Amino acid sequence: MKKIKSKLISSLLLLLTLVICFLSGLKFLSMQKKETVFPSEELTSKKMLSSYFQSLKNTWGDTEVYIYEGQEKGGNILIQGGAHPNEPAGFITAVLLIENIQVTKGKIIIVPRANNSGFTHSDPQEGSPQRYSFETSVGRRSFRYGSRLTNPIHQWPDPTLYINPAGQKLSGTESRNLNRCYPGRKNGRLTEKVAYGIMELIKEEKIDLAIDLHESAPEYPVINAIVFHENSEELAALALMELQLEGFEFSLEFSPKSLRGLSHREWGDNTQAMAILLESANASHGRLKGKTSAALIVEGKDKNYTKAAKLGLLFVPFAEEGIPLKLRVARHLAAVKSILSSLEELHPEKRVEIKNMPSSNEVRKKGIGPFLNPPN
Amino acid sequence: MQIAYHLIVLYLVGHLIWYIFREKKFWNQVCAVLVLIMFLLRLFLIK
Repeated sequence: MKKIKSKLISSLLLLLTLVICFLSGLKFLSMQKKETVFPSEELTSKKMLSSYFQSLKNTWGDTEVYIYEGQEKGGNILIQGGAHPNEPAGFITAVLLIENIQVTKGKIIIVPRANNSGFTHSDPQEGSPQRYSFETSVGRRSFRYGSRLTNPIHQWPDPTLYINPAGQKLSGTESRNLNRCYPGRKNGRLTEKVAYGIMELIKEEKIDLAIDLHESAPEYPVINAIVFHENSEELAALALMELQLEGFEFSLEFSPKSLRGLSHREWGDNTQAMAILLESANASHGRLKGKTSAALIVEGKDKNYTKAAKLGLLFVPFAEEGIPLKLRVARHLAAVKSILSSLEELHPEKRVEIKNMPSSNEVRKKGIGPFLNPPN
Repeated sequence: MQIAYHLIVLYLVGHLIWYIFREKKFWNQVCAVLVLIMFLLRLFLIK
């Protein structure tokens, strides 16, 4: 009798295990589902990155490329978000542009999820929320909060020491960091192939200016910054002046020649494009943060960071009201606008004319929701 | 490489299930269940 009872308990526990696995498995697998982006009506075409580099087809590295082309010829611009999917301001800025802009002169190419695989999982041991959301006129729209790195299920195992395509020695996990894998390898690991695909896009589309949107932790020195390759030095300096006139504090950071594998270095060294990377301050992926939550991502409030700022440990001011996502996105939008107007000033033939670009002041005041399209 | 990984995880899953049926103390069985959940998810490469 006792033996039967023990077997029954074991069987019930096993059944419970399977139920928990099934439910949690469904929840984990839901992270692989991409949320839809609803482009503005003026979208010229939508391609996949694999159309520039075939080898990415049917892999988790393949990602959407949105193209807006004006009637008149002008400059060709690449705006990339989501190279690090745990830096939401870059991704959301790209989404806001896709859902609003109209280009009348020149060409704007937007890649919102540069590291598509990174959006399908979360960083281990961080307790990150799966999603964050915004209130829009037709209800809430949610977006994935991903990982800095490619999903290890899509690229495994990591080497002990990673020597990237540009020859820089890095720790093994960095082989899954898209912004350490440029200029990519044609026959390399998945992340290197994505980097290679982006390089091919820049070459094939004859991109004049490429902007990579990022965020960094408030305790990291390269923050609220325009990082520039030497080929875009003048452009960055001019844009900085314009931004300061608008009341945005940015610093200028030169892309170190010995720091290899990053977009602002390799795009400039290996293609014709002027390369710029933008950073804003994101508490949700910093080391000093408290609980990681959707509220922290969107509202950017964190007591630990406020205390750290008082102790002088941060590189940005961090008051009790925090650094909300709407402000970080507004900073990116303002920087993109200033960079484009500076490009026009320096190279009038590369002028790009954009209509309906969300203004940084409006995003700052109204938030992100009002600029997101309802599903069509 | 992936096959080797699957085989190792499958071996550990088998061991854990065997342990659950062999163990008499309820709380030890529950502890094994907690570990088994992780291994089963790993076995199906669900992250």
